[in-house]
Amino acid sequence: MSDRLPALRAAIEKLLPEVDGVLGLRTGPAGIVAPHLFVKERAATLDALAIWPKEPVPDVLKKILKAHPTAKLGIVCRRCEERGIVEMAKHAQFSLENVTLIGLQCTHDEAVFCRCSKPATIHAKITVGTPIEGVPDSVTDDFLKLDRDARLAFWKEHFLHCIKCYGCRNVCPQCFCNVCALEDETWVETGRLPMPVPPMYHLVRAMHMTAKCVACRECEETCPAGIPLAIHFRLIARDVEAMFKYETGAVITQSPPQLLVLEEGEYERTGLPH
Amino acid sequence: MHEPKIIGFLCNWCSYRGADTAGMARLKYPPNVKIVRVPCSGRVSPELVLRTFREGADGVMVLGCHIGDCHYATGNHRTAKRMPVLRKLLEYNGIDPERLCIDWVSAAEGEKFATVIQQFTEKIKAMPPFVEVMG
Repeated sequence: MSDRLPALRAAIEKLLPEVDGVLGLRTGPAGIVAPHLFVKERAATLDALAIWPKEPVPDVLKKILKAHPTAKLGIVCRRCEERGIVEMAKHAQFSLENVTLIGLQCTHDEAVFCRCSKPATIHAKITVGTPIEGVPDSVTDDFLKLDRDARLAFWKEHFLHCIKCYGCRNVCPQCFCNVCALEDETWVETGRLPMPVPPMYHLVRAMHMTAKCVACRECEETCPAGIPLAIHFRLIARDVEAMFKYETGAVITQSPPQLLVLEEGEYERTGLPH
Repeated sequence: MHEPKIIGFLCNWCSYRGADTAGMARLKYPPNVKIVRVPCSGRVSPELVLRTFREGADGVMVLGCHIGDCHYATGNHRTAKRMPVLRKLLEYNGIDPERLCIDWVSAAEGEKFATVIQQFTEKIKAMPPFVEVMG
């Protein structure tokens, strides 16, 4: 981990004169790591450059570009964040034209922590660190071994602890709709705890993340109840890949399948009747 | 054997007319399915299906025009894309995905309509009531 920090700093310093600012992580005066916009006028702040823990930096990028659409920005991103940036651009949140990606390769330990299957960046022209192989997601794979009743019991137990703080939605870099179905009384009952069965909040959210979830695990990290939310999203991502041949954030020119009509062979793979 | 509650979302242009055709042909089918007419099967959002289950439905049917015959050209493509994903999600949550039926019935297919309703009702009848399973 230690050798990536100077390399990253050098990469940012090299990029700074060409852009208006570079987004990355910085350890604040209180010792808390948070997203920070490094600018050339205050290059000394790079002394406090940080790379861990992961924070939802793409979300900050989106907010800055919403306010300053012509700003030229660089951003330090891991593979999952890179995916998120690509998906946000596909959903017209900002244009990739003015964004320079600095790919930060995760270490094996970080990949194990995130149960990440694809930790190596693919779009970033500038990269820091050595690309590594992914690790299997044992939590999701173990869940798949459960039978139907055990799965129901598994989620019942977990969602019993959900306090519906909306933290998973708020932290999610892919949750950017202007109107949120989760705030609609028709679908999610306000103030009802514990969560009803079936858990409307989580099921609606899982459906809305179809082909959008970038497997960054921010939702799991932020959850005060420690619910393994990524299981839903990762399993559906596998299905979307199998049915619609779409991997989230992989190909910039490929549109999300849920926005398109059926293509050749897709119907056959959905398992619907003929 | 219980009498299951089944909600059927039928598209106005094909399946709802198919139900009419079945009625005019005096075809018999079980009365368990309560029909909700929607402009297009693409109108049926996953939220709507989930809420129907949440209200205690034992089964939900989404019937639309055959692919290529949609009144809105590609409305049922949405159904064909999102409902399989929803079925997978139900499976991952310990809910039998067979409780959600997706099929295509045209206005002329009165007989198919009766068969689809008959088969689905029998399938749901063999399952325990949804509210009991959910606990």
